[in-house]
Amino acid sequence: MEQTANYLGLIPLLPLTGALVIGLLHMLTCTKKPLPEKLYSVLACIGPLLSFFMALVVLFQLKNMAPEDRFLSHIPFTWFAVGELHVDMGFLADPLSSLMLVFVTFIGSLIHIYSIGYMAGEENYGKYFAYLNLFLGAMLILVLGNGPVVMFVGWEGVGLCSYLLISFYTKDTDNVLAGNKAFIVNRIGDLGFVLGMSFLFWAIGSTGFDFLSLRENAHLLTPGIGFAICLLLFVGACGKSAQIPLYVWLPDAMAGPTPVSALIHAATMVTAGVYMVARFSFIYSHFPSAGTIIAWVGILTALLAAIFGMFQKDIKKILAYSTVSQLGYMFAGVGVAAYSAGIFHVFTHAFFKALLFLGAGSVIYALHHQQNIWKMGGLKAKMPITYATMLIGALALSGCPPFSGFFSKDEILFMALANGHPGIWFIGVLVAGMTAYYTFRMMFLVFHGEARDKQAYDQAHEPPAVMTVPLIILAAGAALVGVFNLPGIFGGSMSVSNWLAPSLVEHHPHVSIWLEIMAIAASIAAVVIGITIAYKKFGHGAEEPEFTGFAKLGYHKFYVDEIYNAAIIQPYKAIGSLISRFFEPNVTDLHVKFSTWLYTKSGKAFKVFQVGYVRIYAIYMVIGLSVMSFFLSQSIN
Amino acid sequence: MFAEVLFIAFAALSILGAIGLILFRHPMKGAMSLIVTMISLAGLYALLSAELIFVLQLIVYAGAIMSLIIFIIMFLNIQDNDLPIEEGRYLYLAGGIAVIIPIACFMIKVVKSIPAHQATIVGNGFGGVKEVGLVLFQDWLLPFEIVSLLLLVALIGAVVLAGKRRLLK
Amino acid sequence: MIQDYLILSVILFCLGILGVISRRNVFTVFMSIELMLNAANLAFITFSRVHESMDGHVMAMMIMAVAAAEAALALAVVILLHKHKGKLDTNVFSLLKG
Repeated sequence: MEQTANYLGLIPLLPLTGALVIGLLHMLTCTKKPLPEKLYSVLACIGPLLSFFMALVVLFQLKNMAPEDRFLSHIPFTWFAVGELHVDMGFLADPLSSLMLVFVTFIGSLIHIYSIGYMAGEENYGKYFAYLNLFLGAMLILVLGNGPVVMFVGWEGVGLCSYLLISFYTKDTDNVLAGNKAFIVNRIGDLGFVLGMSFLFWAIGSTGFDFLSLRENAHLLTPGIGFAICLLLFVGACGKSAQIPLYVWLPDAMAGPTPVSALIHAATMVTAGVYMVARFSFIYSHFPSAGTIIAWVGILTALLAAIFGMFQKDIKKILAYSTVSQLGYMFAGVGVAAYSAGIFHVFTHAFFKALLFLGAGSVIYALHHQQNIWKMGGLKAKMPITYATMLIGALALSGCPPFSGFFSKDEILFMALANGHPGIWFIGVLVAGMTAYYTFRMMFLVFHGEARDKQAYDQAHEPPAVMTVPLIILAAGAALVGVFNLPGIFGGSMSVSNWLAPSLVEHHPHVSIWLEIMAIAASIAAVVIGITIAYKKFGHGAEEPEFTGFAKLGYHKFYVDEIYNAAIIQPYKAIGSLISRFFEPNVTDLHVKFSTWLYTKSGKAFKVFQVGYVRIYAIYMVIGLSVMSFFLSQSIN
Repeated sequence: MFAEVLFIAFAALSILGAIGLILFRHPMKGAMSLIVTMISLAGLYALLSAELIFVLQLIVYAGAIMSLIIFIIMFLNIQDNDLPIEEGRYLYLAGGIAVIIPIACFMIKVVKSIPAHQATIVGNGFGGVKEVGLVLFQDWLLPFEIVSLLLLVALIGAVVLAGKRRLLK
Repeated sequence: MIQDYLILSVILFCLGILGVISRRNVFTVFMSIELMLNAANLAFITFSRVHESMDGHVMAMMIMAVAAAEAALALAVVILLHKHKGKLDTNVFSLLKG
């Protein structure tokens, strides 16, 4: 059923090799005169670009096969085999992973190119690209892994790179703390993933622990265990994809360089959780109740993050909360068993969110690392390309037809309605309006009105072509990729959903066309209302308001960080200090002290035998031999 | 019959020589009695039709190695007061015998458990230079070469150890 | 008959051990080790005779070579010992004594 394709393993290997080469070069030269940036740039871009072309080859090879046979696998070696657990270092390309593969490598390559311009002149230029390549390699392992274990390797790899890149500017303690926060919160989620994986192996893994075998055995899961597995895996997804209650790390992760925020914390890594749930759709489809929980968590995350996003003043924080919010949509999609809709939103979101982040990066670059939107304004004239591309991105993010975001978001909301979750649909539409509001609030404050900081405004200029060209390409993508999945009502044929069908287990309900039209009308109305309010309030210039009441609560993110700190971290620290003050010296240390005392005393007792003459030691040896011989000769007759 | 008498004679001589080695206080006397053991062992090899080894035992062991030892003993000009004072020597010997007896018993038991085997008459060429040489240079070539390396290392080591040295201070 | 040879080998070997553990004279200890090697050689030759194979002979030759190498090194050590300490006592080696 599955064909082998011996070049699959090369796809992650190329960026990983790049990371190794660049990392070694950087390590060897960082204390001396640094190598020219051009060398690093070329080395860094080769791997992702080659991977992208190979991803296209994979896509076309799959396209030429019969839909139900679209599986390519490559197993370079057996990783380990312990008892029944047999894990191959294997790669699997099916419609789902090939789609992810293509856009991850595509956007990854673009962001590598953009970074050449953005990071020019920065310290540790080589280290940055080594990490970025390492990240891409890990992400590709995650996408291509043919089983949960290989996927987990990539999962941890991207987590590591995320940590390394968030705290890339190590001179500032806050950045390092943000990196730590991301890493620790991700560990909590990973525990869930590992537990879920272990349960999965325990339940049905003994006949083969890769996705295809698991898929065949998924019906053997008992309800209780299956439900637990679903929720545990979702805990993992929550950590990586920043859902309630583990979303707190993502806004802080914006401390990293902006291209990193675009690639890792918007386009690719954070969508790994959605990808994972879609990967395990064969399990989730058996447990709709678990899916409902996921969908509600997702839509509530979307709502919460949208509320926070409305009151932020840091341009990257706004985009970060919009990412959390959009991730919530994706989870709502996969939660209501509309896996292809969720994945399609991942796909379109990658384009427009990467675009928005890169655009924000251009603004920040032009304004010399100014991130406060209340210090910007009127940049439309100075940065026309950035403005035009970001406008497309903002329209796509808001879900304005005919941009890509509209089709994917609307598909999710419509599927929620069609699968009998009107509550989720309603909140989704509300969030769509809020999204439009805060996105255009940002756009108006940054690009329209009067310049609030005259000096910075005068120095602002359009960034070099190496940064604008990726913006234009991404803008074209953000505007157009929606056509890949046009629903029937717009004369399309849902090509992406059909393409993904062999990898996923989902059902398409049949509903009346009027319901569909009603849903579309509602979301368009929400978007229009959102944009109008934003225009009324901020379209003609506005001053930074004093937040009061609910707005103040929203600006401070409902004090969730503070609540976590008070409810979890402080008690944890208190328990820790209690243990270190009382338990440790009186219980654990006592045991250790007793052992050392025992060893000292017995050592003194045995010291008698250590006479220091080699001959005597030979005698001991012979005595031992003699005793052994005595007992051995008992057994010979 | 003749072979048995020879065996008993050689065996007795070799054991006597070994006991002498252990008991004599002066190493020169010990070396002399060890030579007796070596030569009787050579005789035993001859009884076992191992011609080449018989010759090598006489030349290499009884000849070369033992004369080297004796040469060194004489070279160092060992006087009685150079020798260690071994007051508890017989005590140690008695204790040693007590410790050794279980080992000896065990090994003899093992030997006894080997099925009895009457020596058959072996072929003409058994143990000759040609046969041993053929086996040595066909099946054991690599170990043979490694042994040559070992000898080289020992040579260098002996020179380094016994030679004049300035670094030892 | 074979067993007689092997028992002789065992006896010589045990006498060698006895020499090593009960004497303090360096030369005697060293020659006892040679005695043990000879005992092993005898066992090899005996088994070679039983199986009518030449491998035991080859092994005996190897042992002789090793014994020669050992003799060269050990005597060098003895000379050094005598040079530095003026004694032939194994108890001179007492650096291990704490």
